[in-house]
Amino acid sequence: MHIPFSEFIGFLNLNWQIVVMLAVGGFLIYLGTARNVEPVILIPIGTGILLANIPLGGMVDEGGIFAVLRNAGIKTELFPLLIFIGIGAMIDFGPFLERPYTILLGAAAQFGIFGTFFLAYLLGDGWLHVMNFSLQDAASIGIIGSADGPTSIYVSSVLGSKYAAAIVVAAYSYMALVPIIQPPIMRWMTTKEERRVEMPITVGLVTRKAKIIFPIATVLVVGLIAPKATPLIGCLMFGNVLRECGVVERLSATAQNELTNIVTILLGLTVGGMMVASEFLNPETILIFVMGVVAFALDTAAGVSLGKIMYLLSGKKVNPLIGAAGISAFPMSARVVQRMGLQENPQNHLLMHAVGANTAGQIASVVAGGAMLMLIPLFS
Amino acid sequence: MIDALWIVLLGMAIIFAVLGILLGMMILLNKLIKPNKTD
Repeated sequence: MHIPFSEFIGFLNLNWQIVVMLAVGGFLIYLGTARNVEPVILIPIGTGILLANIPLGGMVDEGGIFAVLRNAGIKTELFPLLIFIGIGAMIDFGPFLERPYTILLGAAAQFGIFGTFFLAYLLGDGWLHVMNFSLQDAASIGIIGSADGPTSIYVSSVLGSKYAAAIVVAAYSYMALVPIIQPPIMRWMTTKEERRVEMPITVGLVTRKAKIIFPIATVLVVGLIAPKATPLIGCLMFGNVLRECGVVERLSATAQNELTNIVTILLGLTVGGMMVASEFLNPETILIFVMGVVAFALDTAAGVSLGKIMYLLSGKKVNPLIGAAGISAFPMSARVVQRMGLQENPQNHLLMHAVGANTAGQIASVVAGGAMLMLIPLFS
Repeated sequence: MIDALWIVLLGMAIIFAVLGILLGMMILLNKLIKPNKTD
């Protein structure tokens, strides 16, 4: 009697690609647990990779839990939007409202999105054809520069990129690596004198009324100019209204905790579940990770460049380092700026200024995502 | 390739336009709603 063991015994179906993916999953779990690198998202993603790549496990097959979650939460863009409600409920726009000028730093620091998009498109269908990157794929790769996981998921799934999983993992991984990627660029682009500029710690008061009007007005402004950004900015600001209105504390707490936690588990597992060896291991994936570093580097360089312009225009009153916090990796990049400022001058506390730029970057990255979604169909 | 350049230029223009309007709005908001002593 012939017994087809390979049809029901998993290890008989192992190949080197599956082994590599199992190792990647294990490595992400290690990074999360042992190194405390973005554990909240990397542990679910790592576990998702392990489960999805167990031969014959069936979790990614039609009807399997990962296929169901992917259809329900990623293809519908539901998960990233729900996460945005939670993020909105967690963000205090106070430091940003006290320093409105920081919004320009947030805007400049989105250049990495478009610069990387351009490079990816040149390598793909735009010119060299060395990679299989369409206009949509290039835009999705560029969005890694938003330094924002949910925005990356949202944009890449709306554009239907075949590299969505790699893009999301790159976005989350590099957010954790901000303290490694940013400092050399910041140091290289600024002089010691610039880094030593002290900025006053102003404790300006922003009224509750202003904090409530701001998210509502932002939704109207962004939505009416870049309507494709409405789902993202709408959910972000809805969460913020819950936080600031002061009369629905239960809802605000739920958005910040239970909602965010549940969706993060589901999102992480689903993203991990998208990283199946046969689809994930290819030269394009490796290049996407390289492009991710380029995106973060360009973001940082553009933010610091505008910081330097502000330094000159303000009569050397603005420390250009705060430009690096214009990326939306909150609060990592603000902490990097604070630390570097203190290294140069122990009296120099840049944190609140950097937090202002950082929260501005959050809004700017959403607008950038909306701009990408608006422009790509026009040129496809 | 020219299309991609246009996307870069228009994309950054949209970001600065939207955030520029938001900046104006915030300045206006800060002027109109001043914190009172109880704040």
